[in-house]
Amino acid sequence: MNEHLVLTIALPLLGAFLLPIIMRSSLAMGVWIGPVILGYGCWILANLWLHGNEQPFSIAIGGFAPPLGINLYVDAMALLFAFATQLLGLIFWPFRLDQDTPKRQALMLLLVASSTGLALSGDLFNLYVFYELVAVSTFGLIAASSSSAAYVATIRYLILSGIGSVLTLFGIALIYAQTGTLNLAHLAQLAPDQLNNDLGLAAFLAILIGIGVKAELFPVNTWVPEVYATAASRLSAFLAGLVSKLSMLIILRLLLLIFHQPEATQVILILGILGVISGEFAAWRAKDMRRMLAFSSIGQLGVIFIAVALPDERGVLAVLALSLHHMLIKSGLFMLADHWGGSLERLRGIATTSPLAAGLFVLFALSLVGMPPLPGFWAKFTLITELAGQTDPLYMIGLLVFLLATVIEASYLFRVAAKMYQTKPTDIVRSNSPDSGSLSLTTASLFGAGLIAATVMVSPLGDGLQAIAVQAQDVDLYIQTVLQQPLGEGQ
Amino acid sequence: MRNLTGLLFAGGLGFMLLSIAINLDFGTPTMLIGGAIQSNALQKTGATNIVTSVVLGYRGIDTLGELSILFAAAASAGLILGRRHTTAGTQTAGGFVLRHGGSMLFPLLMTIGFYIIFHGHLSPGGGFQGGVILAAAFFLPLLARPGAQLHHGTLSLIEGLAGASFVLIGLIALQQGKAFLQPMLIQDTLGVLLSAGTLPLLYLAVGLKVGAELASLLSHLAQTESDA
Repeated sequence: MNEHLVLTIALPLLGAFLLPIIMRSSLAMGVWIGPVILGYGCWILANLWLHGNEQPFSIAIGGFAPPLGINLYVDAMALLFAFATQLLGLIFWPFRLDQDTPKRQALMLLLVASSTGLALSGDLFNLYVFYELVAVSTFGLIAASSSSAAYVATIRYLILSGIGSVLTLFGIALIYAQTGTLNLAHLAQLAPDQLNNDLGLAAFLAILIGIGVKAELFPVNTWVPEVYATAASRLSAFLAGLVSKLSMLIILRLLLLIFHQPEATQVILILGILGVISGEFAAWRAKDMRRMLAFSSIGQLGVIFIAVALPDERGVLAVLALSLHHMLIKSGLFMLADHWGGSLERLRGIATTSPLAAGLFVLFALSLVGMPPLPGFWAKFTLITELAGQTDPLYMIGLLVFLLATVIEASYLFRVAAKMYQTKPTDIVRSNSPDSGSLSLTTASLFGAGLIAATVMVSPLGDGLQAIAVQAQDVDLYIQTVLQQPLGEGQ
Repeated sequence: MRNLTGLLFAGGLGFMLLSIAINLDFGTPTMLIGGAIQSNALQKTGATNIVTSVVLGYRGIDTLGELSILFAAAASAGLILGRRHTTAGTQTAGGFVLRHGGSMLFPLLMTIGFYIIFHGHLSPGGGFQGGVILAAAFFLPLLARPGAQLHHGTLSLIEGLAGASFVLIGLIALQQGKAFLQPMLIQDTLGVLLSAGTLPLLYLAVGLKVGAELASLLSHLAQTESDA
């Protein structure tokens, strides 16, 4: 049963290769292939989640035992993110039919396969390969929006991604030159002796900046506003909601397993604080809904980076809670932006014409700011108590900036909400909404329902995340699981 | 200001690289995994070319990832470039020598390309290198005769089926109770054409896919250029 997990990566790849051929002969059959594959992937992962025992396990690909071959490492955290990937891939599936459909759907399948790989892989270079695949397939998907603004945005994204890839590869090369292995568990074993020095730190910084391009880390996030504002909203939602979190997950894993230098967390903390400040102020000034969401996403990711810099498993818990919360909220908000489209000025008085959408926006905004019964409050509360418990003054600055950011966030979100509930001036003629309006509203309601469900079940969810965090924190468990296996397949 | 930041960044990066390079001992690589693979690759995969056993065996899923990256790049380029149509006759036709030289090179390039693919498990070479030569074989006549076109339908058929067969070979291993992409059918003969089990098949898939992809990418680019 466990070996079937590899199907969640292999089947989308197979589907992507075959999709253009099948669609040419039978479009009706072709359009179902992608959703069916992703649905099956969700089923495999959900099954493992429900029936698997709590212990993490490792799958050797190609039958070569881990330090020699590549392995997938499956613990609760990896399963959770792999499941989120397949599910969001299914929710944000590009249904639109035109002449580019085969290629767009094939690229989307590649994106989901590689994102799942990012969540599961236990090998540093394999992570890099999947990271590249994520990058290349998103280039195509963004450019497929085929407006000239999207082309310009893609070029900037492409250049930054290229720089990031080279830096990441350089960092990996340094690590390999120093240790002679690429397996994460093996590296975790060797790290205290061989990577606890300047060279290890340099390698970490190179990887941090490189992977940070997709995690919207402060200096390398200039592509974010343009891309999110011009790409299709469903794609923006997938990128902002999921791909950024997966990049964050890689950085978190590397930090937990390999790099224990205090300087590494300090750099992350400082960059995170700068990201919060720049993102939130830019969002406050934004005039366009998607642009506002893009900048606010930079700010939110900065908050998560601050949480990544926290030392013990409470920090990991804060990262998980904030990530999942942001995944729900940002996806929902991007769907609402898709429903309305355009500048914030056009939202004036919209609550009378579409009360459900306006209500959802208020719900998301309240949770994002951290209103008590909603899950956003618990995520932020965990972070605040944990930050307040630290002695280093840098964490205090982080706490202050975080509180200031919450105020700014509340200010611009409620400015928008207030605008919605104003009476509508009669002279503005509402342009007709795009066809995808009702579909995106349904999707947004789905995320709203998810948020309410999370509010109701906040205490079991908190316990579950706590267990996941404790497991992810356990370096010895990781090393044991991967390296102490009999040769052959991971049973 | 922008230039200054760029200069500062480049300078800082250069300084970091230099100070790191001083600390690494050059010429004595750490062969922790490399040594272990060298000592057991032969009996595990049966390929005399150890690079092949790493590319297709130990790190097979990386190769699958690389194939997918190439596929994604070709599909993206197709999305952006594929909208225009070529206007034939904007370029001057090649002379007699160029046209017939191109045609005569075609079988030679095909032979060399397939030779390199089929001997990937025995000698340096393999699917990626051979695939590029195959692509060149198809692209050369296109350069010599500007009006000619490759049949994109056939190319994408080869591309898709080759990629799918790579995944399917891996899935068959899974079906038989082994690990995904585990090498199968390993004979106990070393150094002959029919050895190393499924690895040559995987390399054939890689070669066909790389060849078809590059050929269609190049012809897309050539068509767009002749448009401008």
